[in-house]
Amino acid sequence: MTSELPYAADAEVSLSYDELEVLRIQYQKELSQGYVTVQTKFNYAWGLVKAPIREHQVEGVRLLQEIYRAEPTRRRECLYYLALGHFKMGNFDEAKKFNALLMEKEPTNMQALSLAQLIDKGVAHEGYIGMALVGGAAAIGTLLVAGLIRRATRK
Amino acid sequence: MAPAATKPPTPINCKLLLIGNSSVGKSSLLLRFSDEQWLPEDESSATIGVDFRVHKMEVKGKKVKLSIWDTAGQERFRTITSSYYRGAQGIILVYDVSNRESFDALPRWFSELETYVSDKVVKILVGNKVDKEFSRQVPTAEAEAFAKRMNSLFVEASAKTAVGVKEAFTEVVERIMDIPELWDSTTPGVGKSSGQMPGGTNVNLAQENEQEGSGGCSC
Repeated sequence: MTSELPYAADAEVSLSYDELEVLRIQYQKELSQGYVTVQTKFNYAWGLVKAPIREHQVEGVRLLQEIYRAEPTRRRECLYYLALGHFKMGNFDEAKKFNALLMEKEPTNMQALSLAQLIDKGVAHEGYIGMALVGGAAAIGTLLVAGLIRRATRK
Repeated sequence: MAPAATKPPTPINCKLLLIGNSSVGKSSLLLRFSDEQWLPEDESSATIGVDFRVHKMEVKGKKVKLSIWDTAGQERFRTITSSYYRGAQGIILVYDVSNRESFDALPRWFSELETYVSDKVVKILVGNKVDKEFSRQVPTAEAEAFAKRMNSLFVEASAKTAVGVKEAFTEVVERIMDIPELWDSTTPGVGKSSGQMPGGTNVNLAQENEQEGSGGCSC
């Protein structure tokens, strides 16, 4: 045995409330002083993206996008965490787009390859749910029509 | 399902952490150990934040499920990676035998450990890249003496040629198995208890630990 399922370590585990608070307080402090260091902003964005709450993830992605634009030297990690953030939010197209940008630069990056597999699984899963919904709707439709016909024939 | 009597024993969960400067070969050691593969330097990329692998093995007649956390060595990820120390039973500290700087940075890594993980946690010092013998900058004897002083196991290895890699991982796990309180939930242990959060260079994720964390000597 060796090969394991694809895994994105940072996607699964979120920080505790207190841990995220430490990162948030540092960010707010620097914000109020008028200058936020990239490191502080990145740490907080990372904590937000890992969080289970959607508003946090949205905010994390927003901060990462700002860092991506402003700091060329931090682009690779921003791309990775942007992909991760969108993946967690279920925005698979966006997730794919950012991860593809990273893989363009680093075709053998194993973290990106693993995340790509996760995104594909997410898309497939969504497909099944879609089919189930369509199937369900069709079933309900059939019942309704059958009911209408029955009613109509009774009269 | 099968009755309890015939149920196979559940494997012992064991968390290992790879730490050390960037480019010393932490991810390569893990890739060699878990997949028996090696990527040349131009094909491997610096770890972003943290990577993770599961590996099952049998040690001293016990089934062990290893979760191995491979942390980024770059300074900019220090806060991120520090959040993964919690609950580790074994630490693999890696340096590059052909890079003196990566060896000289070890006291800093050890002082991070002193502050944030129990001293019962098993440590092993791994001198990687012995395939570059011609450009060695750290003598074996010196590293061995240092490891002894730091109460660590020691091995030299090469992810490229596979020398010493399996030994490194196996030795840590064997030593962990010798200390039941690290993994046996029925004995009061250190493995799962520690709710401490280690801090990074820029932000300490566990503020309440700052006052009490000054006990360690990183001289």
